[in-house]
Amino acid sequence: MKIKILSLLALAALLVVSACKDDQGPSGCNCTENDLIEAVYDPQPIELDYPERFPKPIIPEDNPMTAAGVALGRNLFYDPILSSDSTMSCASCHNPQLSFTDGQANSEGVLGMRGKRSSMAIFNLAFNANGFFWDGRAATLEAQALAPVEDHLELNESWDNVEEKLRQHPEYPALFRQAFGIERKSELTRELAVKAIAQFERTLISYNSRFDKVVWEQQGWPTDAEQRGRDLFFVEFATNTNDHPGCSHCHGSALFTENRYFNNGISNVNDLNGFPDKGLGGITGNIYDNGKFRAPSLRNIELTAPYMHDGRFNTLEEVLDHYATGGHGVINEDANIQPFTLTEQNKQDLISFLKMLTDTTYINNPAFQNPFE
Amino acid sequence: MKQFIFASILLSTLLFTACDNKDDNKSELAEVVLNFTANYDNDPLVMFERTYNYEADMDLKMQLLQFYISDVRLLHDKDGVTEEVPVLDIGLINFGNVYNDADAAKGINTAAVSIPAGTYTGLRLGFGVSPELNATIPPDYPLGHPLSENYWEDAQSYIFFKVEGNADLEPNGEFTDKLTFHVGGNNNYRELSFQKNFTVEKNGQVTIPVVVDLKKILIASDGTYVDFRQVKQSHSNTSPAAIFMADNVPQAVSVK
Repeated sequence: MKIKILSLLALAALLVVSACKDDQGPSGCNCTENDLIEAVYDPQPIELDYPERFPKPIIPEDNPMTAAGVALGRNLFYDPILSSDSTMSCASCHNPQLSFTDGQANSEGVLGMRGKRSSMAIFNLAFNANGFFWDGRAATLEAQALAPVEDHLELNESWDNVEEKLRQHPEYPALFRQAFGIERKSELTRELAVKAIAQFERTLISYNSRFDKVVWEQQGWPTDAEQRGRDLFFVEFATNTNDHPGCSHCHGSALFTENRYFNNGISNVNDLNGFPDKGLGGITGNIYDNGKFRAPSLRNIELTAPYMHDGRFNTLEEVLDHYATGGHGVINEDANIQPFTLTEQNKQDLISFLKMLTDTTYINNPAFQNPFE
Repeated sequence: MKQFIFASILLSTLLFTACDNKDDNKSELAEVVLNFTANYDNDPLVMFERTYNYEADMDLKMQLLQFYISDVRLLHDKDGVTEEVPVLDIGLINFGNVYNDADAAKGINTAAVSIPAGTYTGLRLGFGVSPELNATIPPDYPLGHPLSENYWEDAQSYIFFKVEGNADLEPNGEFTDKLTFHVGGNNNYRELSFQKNFTVEKNGQVTIPVVVDLKKILIASDGTYVDFRQVKQSHSNTSPAAIFMADNVPQAVSVK
């Protein structure tokens, strides 16, 4: 009798343990027996559309581009499900009509508090090998996409909550299965979410500006002002003197950036510890990196005011006026920040050229818009 | 017939032996590394931290010295004929992150490259981007490759070397004048040749120390120099300052 009771107890314990195992997924979620996802996994690889003048895009081996991955990433990018109060999404600070910026000097998060930096334009991210954010603190797009969700000044949500919301959502589990082949809701993770967002972001490629048409595809001609501006921008002897804007030192290549970090002379500080925002130096811990920020691409610059990492300049005129002063003489200011003569004519010519870099086909591309509208 | 069979076996054995020898040669490899250090005269070249005395009471602090090296070859004599062993097509040597004497002494190493073990007599390298590679453009290379950046569209050339820093021209202790000199163009490519006798054993590694003296790039052997009171920047393939500096490169680079 005693043996029978013991056997029954052991069997019951075994059943309880088995039941617990069924209820808990690999990541410990409170999954139920309908954890299995019903959807077809048939990944369709996609190729990025970019011109030969661009470098080859960086696609991580563990995150190949698929149609389903991009579609999922687009949904997540525009879905306020990523925020704590379901009011904000990535797109709240990255509006496609503003080249995925928000027109603010520094963006407001779900708590109504503002961050210390301006939201960065989003395009041609697949061609950046030198780190993301203004200070380069994320090595990959996937790592970048992890950060805003838990930033109290941005979406202020926990990834644990986001994962649970996505698992319980009527559609997302199927979308994750289609994108990544997961079989159970419990396999839906933040790592897959940011992979999808990164896939979508890699498709955001801008190369159809008037500059591209005229200069690279030889369709039409620049105006006189645009041509003079282009010469000032690129050609260092365009002014017949040694004083020239030298824009292309930091904004060179077909991308109009090499994603390098510079102190561009905007902060008048007494010493290298005086920068209110240390930028790259806050990440590397190297005092000579203090005050350095990533030089963004100048493509679509007409759409991304206000300018600089803290949005201190409202107009391109103000930006050019600053650069013409040659900075403030802080020791780690880039040596190419040199004073130059900026006539009103030069200023307008440069701005005419910069406006050539506006790509309206990019900002209006239906594939990049909000899928919920 | 027996003699024919014997001869065939002998010949086969000889052939196999020859093949074996060839394999042995292939496996008799060593490694070579080029170690670049930079000085300013007798002082280590350190960014920001050090003050360097220049001509005519001017003082300098540096921010950047970087340059390309191309077409690096080792020389060895074989039966009285000098043969070249290719080591490296292109490399970008950047001292911009050297902030102290220890890092300056450590220098910058190229990646280790396999070479046949043996005796060598010299080193050849191009300072800048060889004309063949200078005919290519950044999109020809993956991001992160040395030639994926530092390109002048309008000059259709890579920037072979950059010298950037700050000058105290008064002198009053204020380094307020910025210096930026970028040099490129096939006309400024310089091929350098050095005698360097060394032997590297099978599976061994040899480090070849290459020293660049920035002062000798700025000041020619006849005492003429770039007058920073007259010119603080030059971004051109043809400016006098660019050609002057490129012409000084052979005297500024040495192999210890």
